[in-house]
Amino acid sequence: MPSQPPLPPLLTPYVSSLPPSSLTLLSSVLGATGNWLVLRFLHAALSAPSTPDSAFSFGEGKNGKKQKVVLVSFLRGWEFWRSEAKRLGLDLARLTDKRQFAFVDGLSELFSAPTTPTTTTTTITQTPPPSQPSLRGGPIPQRTVLPARSAPGPIPARGPQLAPRPAATAPAPSVPSAPREIGPVKRLHWSGNGATALEKLEKDIADVVEQLWATAATTEGGEESEVLLILDAPDLLLAATGPNKGVGATEMSDWVMGLQQYVHATVMTLAADSPLIHNTSAFGHQMATPLETEHAAFAIGSAHRAHMVMQLRNLETGAARDVSGVLRVSKGGAWGQRDNADEDGVWEEREVLYFIQRDGGVSVFGRGE
Amino acid sequence: MAPMNTSHRQTHNLLLISKLLSLRDTASPLALVLDSLEQPANPLIKEYIRRAKLSKVHITFVAFETLKPPEGVDAFVAGRRKTPLEIIKAVNATYTNVPASSPSRRRLILIDAINPLLHAKRNDAQFNVSSFLSLFLMPQSPTASKAEVSLVVTFHQDVPSPPPLSHYIPTPLSMLTYLATTIIRLHSFSHILAQKAARDRSLVAPVFGLEEEQDGVLLGRLDRPVGNESAQGVVLELEHRRKSGRGVLEWYVLPPASRYPPQYAKEIVTLLDDHPLYRPPQEPDYGAGEEEPESTFELRLTERQRKDREGVVLPYFDAQQGDGPGEGGRILYDMGEEDDFDEEEDEI
Repeated sequence: MPSQPPLPPLLTPYVSSLPPSSLTLLSSVLGATGNWLVLRFLHAALSAPSTPDSAFSFGEGKNGKKQKVVLVSFLRGWEFWRSEAKRLGLDLARLTDKRQFAFVDGLSELFSAPTTPTTTTTTITQTPPPSQPSLRGGPIPQRTVLPARSAPGPIPARGPQLAPRPAATAPAPSVPSAPREIGPVKRLHWSGNGATALEKLEKDIADVVEQLWATAATTEGGEESEVLLILDAPDLLLAATGPNKGVGATEMSDWVMGLQQYVHATVMTLAADSPLIHNTSAFGHQMATPLETEHAAFAIGSAHRAHMVMQLRNLETGAARDVSGVLRVSKGGAWGQRDNADEDGVWEEREVLYFIQRDGGVSVFGRGE
Repeated sequence: MAPMNTSHRQTHNLLLISKLLSLRDTASPLALVLDSLEQPANPLIKEYIRRAKLSKVHITFVAFETLKPPEGVDAFVAGRRKTPLEIIKAVNATYTNVPASSPSRRRLILIDAINPLLHAKRNDAQFNVSSFLSLFLMPQSPTASKAEVSLVVTFHQDVPSPPPLSHYIPTPLSMLTYLATTIIRLHSFSHILAQKAARDRSLVAPVFGLEEEQDGVLLGRLDRPVGNESAQGVVLELEHRRKSGRGVLEWYVLPPASRYPPQYAKEIVTLLDDHPLYRPPQEPDYGAGEEEPESTFELRLTERQRKDREGVVLPYFDAQQGDGPGEGGRILYDMGEEDDFDEEEDEI
């Protein structure tokens, strides 16, 4: 068990009770990644029932609503998040079963065309929808199908692709389309070009969100719940598609805004390394590449739309043994749009240092403390 | 001389800003607000809405970045995934059901950020900022109620724009600055104070946020960087182009909204030069007494004495005229009535 509390007290006001329809931007650099902070957001939203004795009730919004989380990850797979969350005492697989958490995989098959095996698995899983739990327990028939993935040629695979896909996504997005994964792991596929492809991704994610809503309405007796959406590194999508595929900063922002409409609050992580941000500035002395321009426009534009911007960076004075990096929390461009100060939450801008221990525990402290 | 000039400037420019912010006399049909992450345009937009509410102006909010309509807005048009023409149609549709007999014939159209529209891939090559914006200002049909339209467009200065398709067309920003009748650049008051403090010591003025070019820093703002509660507020750097073509440049301070009640009708904007934190009021006796030694004599000159002294033609000016040797360089002295002429001593 980590010696540190899973949620450092200094962080609590920032990661819990995000204001409605707000965007929180979490920027990181290569030397100071933001996974630990994403996990803190997860913990703040999900951990309440398991730790009722803690001093703060993290898991509930300030109006007592239950919080659910949809995590869309473009850089890391399900295994990573599951094992990292376990170190914090969060069992994501169990939470998925309880319909409190849903993972959307944007990494594994984003650009690999859905081959015949996946379509067959979806058709297989589609036929016995009531036997979902047993499927999750022993996905043996799918495992036998898996080696055949490379075998079929592309042309017969493309034929049935269009027909079964909408049918597969619409009724049961929570059905495991991937054999080895546990829980409702939805995998995103990129198809088409530009805004239409993004719209499709938006619809896929919205389906997952709605699935959580639907279960909340039926199982919990209509108890209201809030869905928190965490978008991990959507800049990968921008980098991997780019202007050639009709995706630019505006399209990405539109996409994120579309997703924001489905959920209570959104947390988005982005890379803010110097070359990705500063090469395009007026002071940059070199020609910026389209990727640099679009990324900078997306990141800065998102900061303009964000309610809160959490910036992670390295220590200016170099590496230290007891400091991993600096976290600066600032008010984003959208802060203060509401006249009601309560809706914005009560928090101060500040800059703190953090240290990630070997066991995954994080301590957060002010300078000189 | 100087104080009179200041008061003149004060009255004129304060009148101008209140006219612009309250949208009186359609002083400025197109106002361009240039903001940055260090000072977002929110406080100014809210001030526009507050004043428009007070004078019962119809407000349309065109949102490219905002999901929920801000408070006090009459119509909200989401610009997401719409083509420019669709946006214009939607905006015009919001005003059709306003009764033509209503006393308010003015309308304010706010665009929360024009950057997404300018850089959208869905725009065709025909898209033109100037024609897009002018379609807002012109009535759609001659029968439509003619309202005095003021357009306030926000542009994020720090969002980089992709390289232009052609090298021979101006960038969107230069196009906008060319079209705008009023340009308001926003600065954070605390940053302005920090930069002034550095300049007063002949140091390099500090930069904040993105301009720091530090790895991982997007925003440099912290709540109390100066440790000064009253250093809140927005500095407006205003450039207004009059119809005559003459430009007016002025710096103002907009205090934070918590400082005054929402129904407050008086002007709250002040000149930056009049702000006590920017230019601390000088106490005349205090400063002079410190510098100069105490004396029973009056060492300073009166206004008349100074004028007389400036009127004196010194000998070498006379000498330069070169009226021959010996002629220049004489001391010419006009005797005043208080001079006592002594025949023996003062032979000229």
